[in-house]
Amino acid sequence: MPIPQIYRINRPVSESAYKEVVDLSHPLHADRPLGVGILGAGPVTQAIHLPALARLRGLLEVRHIMDVDPAVAGSVAARVGAASSSTMEALLGDETVDIVAICSPHQFHAEQVIAACRAGKKAVLCEKPFAMNAEEAGRISAVSRETGVPIVVGAMHTFDPGWLAARRNWDDLPGTAHTIRSSIVLPPNARFEDFATEIITRPAAGTPDYGDVEVIKSMMQGGIMGLAIHDLPLVRQFTPDFADIEVLQARHVRPFGYAVSLRTPTRTIELRAAMNSTWKPEWSFEAIADHAALRIDFTPSYVQAGSATATFSRGSETTTFGPYGHNGYEGEWRELAELARGTRQPPPAQALIDDLTFALAIADATVESAAAEHGRRPAGLAGATGATA
Amino acid sequence: MSAAFTVTATTGAEEAGGVALAIASLPATFGHAADKAGVADVVAIAGEAGWTGEALQAIESGHRAILVANPCPEDTARLAAAADAAGTAVVLDHRWASNPALVSTGNGPDAREAFRSALGAAAMLDSVAAAAPGSDPHRLLGEHLAALLMVTGPLDGLSLVRNGASGYLVSARLPNGAPLTAQGVLTAARPAGVDIRLYTSDGGASVRVPDPGAAWPAEVRATGPHGDLLLPTLYESAHRSAWRRLKEHLTAGTRPDDLAGFARLTDHYATLTDT
Repeated sequence: MPIPQIYRINRPVSESAYKEVVDLSHPLHADRPLGVGILGAGPVTQAIHLPALARLRGLLEVRHIMDVDPAVAGSVAARVGAASSSTMEALLGDETVDIVAICSPHQFHAEQVIAACRAGKKAVLCEKPFAMNAEEAGRISAVSRETGVPIVVGAMHTFDPGWLAARRNWDDLPGTAHTIRSSIVLPPNARFEDFATEIITRPAAGTPDYGDVEVIKSMMQGGIMGLAIHDLPLVRQFTPDFADIEVLQARHVRPFGYAVSLRTPTRTIELRAAMNSTWKPEWSFEAIADHAALRIDFTPSYVQAGSATATFSRGSETTTFGPYGHNGYEGEWRELAELARGTRQPPPAQALIDDLTFALAIADATVESAAAEHGRRPAGLAGATGATA
Repeated sequence: MSAAFTVTATTGAEEAGGVALAIASLPATFGHAADKAGVADVVAIAGEAGWTGEALQAIESGHRAILVANPCPEDTARLAAAADAAGTAVVLDHRWASNPALVSTGNGPDAREAFRSALGAAAMLDSVAAAAPGSDPHRLLGEHLAALLMVTGPLDGLSLVRNGASGYLVSARLPNGAPLTAQGVLTAARPAGVDIRLYTSDGGASVRVPDPGAAWPAEVRATGPHGDLLLPTLYESAHRSAWRRLKEHLTAGTRPDDLAGFARLTDHYATLTDT
């Protein structure tokens, strides 16, 4: 049976036109599919990674699913004909696994990345954040250097063809932009998960006590490290003096979101997010200079709705790139395949560390600022519906 | 048939308010006053610093009505008293706040209605105003605030978080305590205008208001579980809308309450410039 071929898409496509625009001169693989093992079988694995990998059959093949809940691991693995287990060691010991994806809770990421590198795998994908502090990031970097195993952090927007098109065309904008904005408005994850798959398990939703400052601090930490972090690597690309970041204001948005104002000596940065019950997603990134601006409109996660659209504006003139036929998650997996085959150079470890320390610095300062704001709010707002922290 | 009301305009008003174009679009009502033809019915002045003094002089000169093009925040107490005493109509032509999509002059749907029906469930209001580099950020802030107040009503906890060469950031609270952020950005990369987005638990409202240099329509949307409702587009600039309002008052013999609303803007602005 001939091995099916997956080809790189090199210009915008609609789903119906997909087959007509593939570039037949650039096959992404010529060998048997690379084996994928996934640590953690929660909604992200079920609704994001497995559907993305289903579009790359012939290039990548899921061979092992691990979850601490053996029933979940077995059920998810059965969907893709993979082996299952409930321990990391079992998955890392599976010789059919070439690439390890780490989709477990944040606190396990660092140790699992290091273990995967030491297990002699060909590449590692770690969901963001790949570490919870600079010390962990340093250890990961050292192990990656020592073992030569490339690591990709799942900042999916940095692999989105719309973003990559922007990079190729932004000229001097990263040096001249003075204002950067990231705005994320999303419905609850379940809305898009249900478009992508049939979810087996979902984390239980709680009822937060907005009057408790510790709840607010935890939600702001989660907002930055779980949501804003998607775009913070993009923000950093436009912030050469990112080490001098300062939080001017941080306010919690109910039920989950934030309004954060940041500044460096040369940049102003505004982060907005609101997750509520709307059906209408808006996910944009903007970099604005005196005479040029870039706006990128991303598609929602989970759904396979193609890439972002990047629009440059210069006065009354606009130039748009995209949409292209796949999103950043698929872009991640394509890059991982190339890294595992040695046909592509890994990203510099320092860039990953800088992205992480940038995010951590913002998260820490945001939590402090939001807690202070919480203390200043008028007493009558403590239990008000829809009110801020 | 000659126009019902004669108009004279200062050079500054002509530049700031596009007076010639606006009154040309209302030719049965307004016409340029001939030279040496006595006091014109209407005088248009520019809203630069000190405009209230110029308006007081216009009242003393006997004009029946005054239109102020793009007024900057200023104490209008004396002007309001003088206008009341003389029965002079004072209409303010705001850069963005006078756009007819924000507040309808008839019974049509408008942004104020869309926003106010959503404010009770507000989670966050985020607004961005853009103007060309070299613009006075303080003027921009006043214009921005005027547009915001049109749709939100009074704001609490107003403060200036950041102010610099590339723009500013203002923070406030909506009546239910939800955060409001208003950012000003100086750039020539995009058309000048203001964008206001209110997010609620299940949708929200938004308005994008263009500059009044042309009759680009504002875009007002109300979003809810039913979907996204685009309000009817109005191809009328803020300038023409202000002149049309003046026409209605002059022909009906009524007096606008623009100065009362402007006092609220001035109070909010003073709060910011004091911080």
